[in-house]
Amino acid sequence: MSEFVDARTLPAGTVLTPDIAIVGGGPAGISLAMALANNTKLDLLLLESGSANFDPAVQALYTGSQSGDAYAPLEVGRLRTLGGGTNHWGGWSRPLDAIDFEKRDWVPHSGWPFPKAALDAYYPIAQNLIEAGPWIYDSGDNVAAANAPMMPLGEGGLYTSWFQFSKMRGDVVPTRFGARYEGSLKAAANIKPLLNANVTAIRLTPNAQQVDRLDAATLNPEGGIGKRFTIRPRHVVMAAGGMENARLLLTSNDVMKAGVGNQNDLVGRFFGDNPIPRNVATLVVFGGKLASYYGSTQTLGEARMRAVFAPTAAFARSKKVMGSLTTLEYPVELDDTGKAAVITAANALGVDASSARAYSVGCGMELLPDRDRRLTLTGETDALGLPRLKLHNIVSDADFALYRQTLAELGRQVLASGAGLLRINCSRREDWLKNMDWGHHHLGTVRMHVDPKQGVVDGDGKVHGIANLFVAGSAVFPTYGASNPTLNLIALTLRLADHLKKVAT
Amino acid sequence: MNRRALIAGLAAAGAAVAAGLYRFTDVFVKHHPATPYDDLLTHLPDRDQAKRLGALVRGAPDANAIAARLRGAMPDGLTAAAKSDITAGRLVEVEGWLLPQSVVLLAALAAKS
Repeated sequence: MSEFVDARTLPAGTVLTPDIAIVGGGPAGISLAMALANNTKLDLLLLESGSANFDPAVQALYTGSQSGDAYAPLEVGRLRTLGGGTNHWGGWSRPLDAIDFEKRDWVPHSGWPFPKAALDAYYPIAQNLIEAGPWIYDSGDNVAAANAPMMPLGEGGLYTSWFQFSKMRGDVVPTRFGARYEGSLKAAANIKPLLNANVTAIRLTPNAQQVDRLDAATLNPEGGIGKRFTIRPRHVVMAAGGMENARLLLTSNDVMKAGVGNQNDLVGRFFGDNPIPRNVATLVVFGGKLASYYGSTQTLGEARMRAVFAPTAAFARSKKVMGSLTTLEYPVELDDTGKAAVITAANALGVDASSARAYSVGCGMELLPDRDRRLTLTGETDALGLPRLKLHNIVSDADFALYRQTLAELGRQVLASGAGLLRINCSRREDWLKNMDWGHHHLGTVRMHVDPKQGVVDGDGKVHGIANLFVAGSAVFPTYGASNPTLNLIALTLRLADHLKKVAT
Repeated sequence: MNRRALIAGLAAAGAAVAAGLYRFTDVFVKHHPATPYDDLLTHLPDRDQAKRLGALVRGAPDANAIAARLRGAMPDGLTAAAKSDITAGRLVEVEGWLLPQSVVLLAALAAKS
């Protein structure tokens, strides 16, 4: 039994010597700690910058700047408290598709070091951790059809796919990892959760082949550094999120001048997220009625689910499009042109559209990897003296053009089935950008590749060239997919846990 | 004039008025001037809505060219032609609306007729 320890109560100059130090108490860090604690005697130190409760002063450590295409303020999309981003996530869960792991000849820099099958054993465990119910992503059609008729799609490049939703202890609130697993962390004899503990530098041995120690500090309530302490672990796992992992690697530049693991100028580059442009299209359903699981989350069987439209792998290959998940949102009114289009099309097809209703269409997109969409350090520092981040954000015209092809195929398929008609609302770049939201999924900044020239970490999440430094979480995703990352990053983290058990025990 | 004759006369007059309204006004049914393309435009049950849509078609050829193309493309009627377009991916955007090519051409013809 290990109670949480407040790092502010440690004597200054304390040196901690765990087997494994896990930097970050979000879904990756907590999942990793629990997995590593299971059936091992590894001494695990889980370092969380925040505490169980939100603290504006701690959260302000995340503040940064940005350029390029508009993006959310850097402190908005993440939470520096125990549980990390799960304290505000929506619970949207869906495994990545097999094609997301493949080298796609039309996607530069694509290809994971392993296929999706390498995560097969870990997805069910991850699904249990996020409490999204039984695994019915692949059989959602059967469950849904028993509830209400699905909208038919003609044969083609998109199919109805399913999100499942995390629900903490069966409630509607998604699983908040800090609150949900506090008891498990405390119950594990070999996990020491250390709160209010900020890692400020990764110190390498002079030959740059090993982490020697981590510098850490607490934040003084009045501002500035409180106490300094040191961790000398056998192994380090960075699990601080897609932005902070990169920041700590870049700022730790005393031995490797470009930053830890950045000998090939990759750390911080290839930043990814899932753009969520709103109202990208209007879908008219000729029959008017639409099952409720299209427009909102519904309980189907033993899970909460929502239907989306996803491109098939065959369509993605033939049309060279990126991943996307298209959603139906809320009813909208048609203007005179829309009514004319519906009446004329329905008449031509011999379909009754007298009860037709229109719905706004949204989506989550996968971006093309772009090395210039990146995080860099600035001259500004935070209260701990660490350089703040700057994000240069880019959404290319090609990103929009590729998704537009997918929308057009959806439009063709609803015509083919006689179910409806689709209008694409976005033609110009400004049309896409004017209603743009983001998933706040911070991806790719510590990308994974077997070749050190193309990736910061290898297929096991180990930083190339450094024997005892690993990175967990979505920072290592080399391509992003359109699925929300939490389920996937946990599965990947559980795989890392199995690897660490081999190398650290 | 007896009562029976009066009723019959009123009924006949009423029928004549209704027939006149049907034939010479748009009260019961919309009348369009005759065009050289009526063999095609008859496929449009609601020609006014088609005209509204067709007026927004960009870059459509002239009416004769459209008609020639449609006569070749619609041997089995508009529904068959539209379904063939959908299967083959011959869709055209009109103000963003994705529509079968034959439907768009016919709508454009309605607008030009």
